[in-house]
Amino acid sequence: MISVENIGKSFAGKAVLRDLSFDVPDGKITALLGANGAGKTSCLRIICGLLRAESGRVLVGGVDPAENPQGARRQLGVVGDREGLYERLTVAEYLKVFAQMQGLTGGALQQALEEVRAELELDGLWDRRTGGFSQGERMKVSLARALVHRPQHLILDEPTRGLDVLAVRLLRKTLLRLRAAGTTILFSSHVMPEVAELSDTVLVMSAGSIVGRGTPAELASETGCESLEDSFVALAYGERHTHREVEIA
Amino acid sequence: MNNGNKTLGWRLMVPLLRKELLEAWRDRRALLTAISFALLFPAMILGGTTFMLKKQSEEAARVALVGGDSAPLIQKYLPTTGIKMDALAEGDPQVLLAGDYDVVLVAAENFAERYQDFRAPRLYLYVDTSDTDAGRAQRMVQERLAQLQQMVAAQRLTARGVAPQVLAPWQLEVRDMSTPSSRGALILAMVPGVLIMTLFIASLATSVDTSAGERERLSLETLLVQPLPAWQVIVSKLLAVASIGWVGTLLTIGVLVALMPMMHLEEFGFQLATSLSGVIAMGLVLLPLALLVAVLQILLALRSQSFKDAQTQLSIFQIAPLVVVMAIDMAQIDLAGAWQLLPLVGHQQWLQGLLVGDSVSLPWMLAGSLVTLAVVAVSVIAGARSLSRETLLSAA
Repeated sequence: MISVENIGKSFAGKAVLRDLSFDVPDGKITALLGANGAGKTSCLRIICGLLRAESGRVLVGGVDPAENPQGARRQLGVVGDREGLYERLTVAEYLKVFAQMQGLTGGALQQALEEVRAELELDGLWDRRTGGFSQGERMKVSLARALVHRPQHLILDEPTRGLDVLAVRLLRKTLLRLRAAGTTILFSSHVMPEVAELSDTVLVMSAGSIVGRGTPAELASETGCESLEDSFVALAYGERHTHREVEIA
Repeated sequence: MNNGNKTLGWRLMVPLLRKELLEAWRDRRALLTAISFALLFPAMILGGTTFMLKKQSEEAARVALVGGDSAPLIQKYLPTTGIKMDALAEGDPQVLLAGDYDVVLVAAENFAERYQDFRAPRLYLYVDTSDTDAGRAQRMVQERLAQLQQMVAAQRLTARGVAPQVLAPWQLEVRDMSTPSSRGALILAMVPGVLIMTLFIASLATSVDTSAGERERLSLETLLVQPLPAWQVIVSKLLAVASIGWVGTLLTIGVLVALMPMMHLEEFGFQLATSLSGVIAMGLVLLPLALLVAVLQILLALRSQSFKDAQTQLSIFQIAPLVVVMAIDMAQIDLAGAWQLLPLVGHQQWLQGLLVGDSVSLPWMLAGSLVTLAVVAVSVIAGARSLSRETLLSAA
């Protein structure tokens, strides 16, 4: 489980996260839904230990990344808002490097590589250098890198950005399978259909705060809206921006 | 979840080091830069020695003596070591100077007659002072004529029963101490600087790519979420960068050694340290410096705002060894003893000594290398701290 407890963060005097608290339970998919600049990426970076919260704390499987970043990172698989590939390495070399950095060796290493190769359908890419890969191929390799050591917690920042339909479907299938296997999944997005389809819990962020939480149905019920998009707009910006209001007008 | 067979500690750095080495050695642009400069510098030194040899073969003053028939003594005795003379019946001095001659000596038409009568006949020495070789030729001819004049005067005084020493309370003899060897040494003094410059230039592209490049491509962030201490990230990168710089410098040394037979160093009066042990010693001396250059370049590149900014800053950084060498030269500092502990200063001295076969103090060399490694360690700590700077992620 990932616990975020009352964290605050500011850049150059401007608060980007304000007293943020939420839990991401095991075996569930939790979405951080927010517009650009809402603080989603900053929140995920604090969970990964890349940024330090000015107040509050984060626990990743009971480990505070601010105090024990290595301990927390061993439990994390992270897909950032860019793929972070090394274009002069083949997919096999790339995944092997990251699996070894997570401590895998010998038979366990080979097994992990074969599993992730099969799961993410990487056969055609395996011995190719990643330079020149399409966006979908890059995302597949990036996801494979995050999963190769079988982390308990998976964090994805805008994972469907720039992906085609097939790549999105593969990503969706993979995340649902991981959820079934008990993985804790937290992802950020501003794409409503993706969030509605995948998430067990949606955390609506606006201006560094959680302004709504629940399943898509619960959010719709809470706001009296028909869609997640309308619910999000109502929660983040107030009802005057909803479709319903536009239609009434 | 299944974490399988886990390894801990510094061994986690090994795959990262392999990744950095693979990336560095597969970067064609970086390799091309390293190889180009590794080959260019020895070629420049070969060119320099060839030029020196050519100059050495041409350094005899070329003198045209016009009307030498009337001055047989001068015609006979003027040519000597360093003076090549052609006796001509006639000729226009201006035309002769524009041709192959450095100076033109013309005996007056009544030279023989006045010489016989002890009436100091005139000699005219034509010089083109805009010609850089003329000054030296003029001085050599004047000195030779003064010697002949003194010889004739001595003979005349002796014939009259006067001891010639009476007119010469002392004898001044000017001697040019710039031997071919010392002039050649000027060129070889460049070699340590060239080797150090090669280190800086050969590792530049790799250091920018692995730091500012990774930051700009956002792959640095991916690396930083792995369970590795930041110092291991810096050490892996610096070893990869240093490997390129060091191998580039070894290539320079190898090419230099291979080109030595073409340099005709024996003409300058000395041999280089061409033995295998000399080459190995030079390589070992350069290894700590390669690490230092790599980590400083990475530190600087990490502080840059972008890939281009890093390239610009490191290009300026390339002149650091030149500045140090020039500053030392201008300050006229005696660099013996503890000065050798300073990185760059010590390395230059040791390389110079190894090149010309002088003895190099092993204790000072070891102590200086340890100081360099200590600076590397401090820089690694600074680099690890810089990786925790939140502004590193701002490129996102």
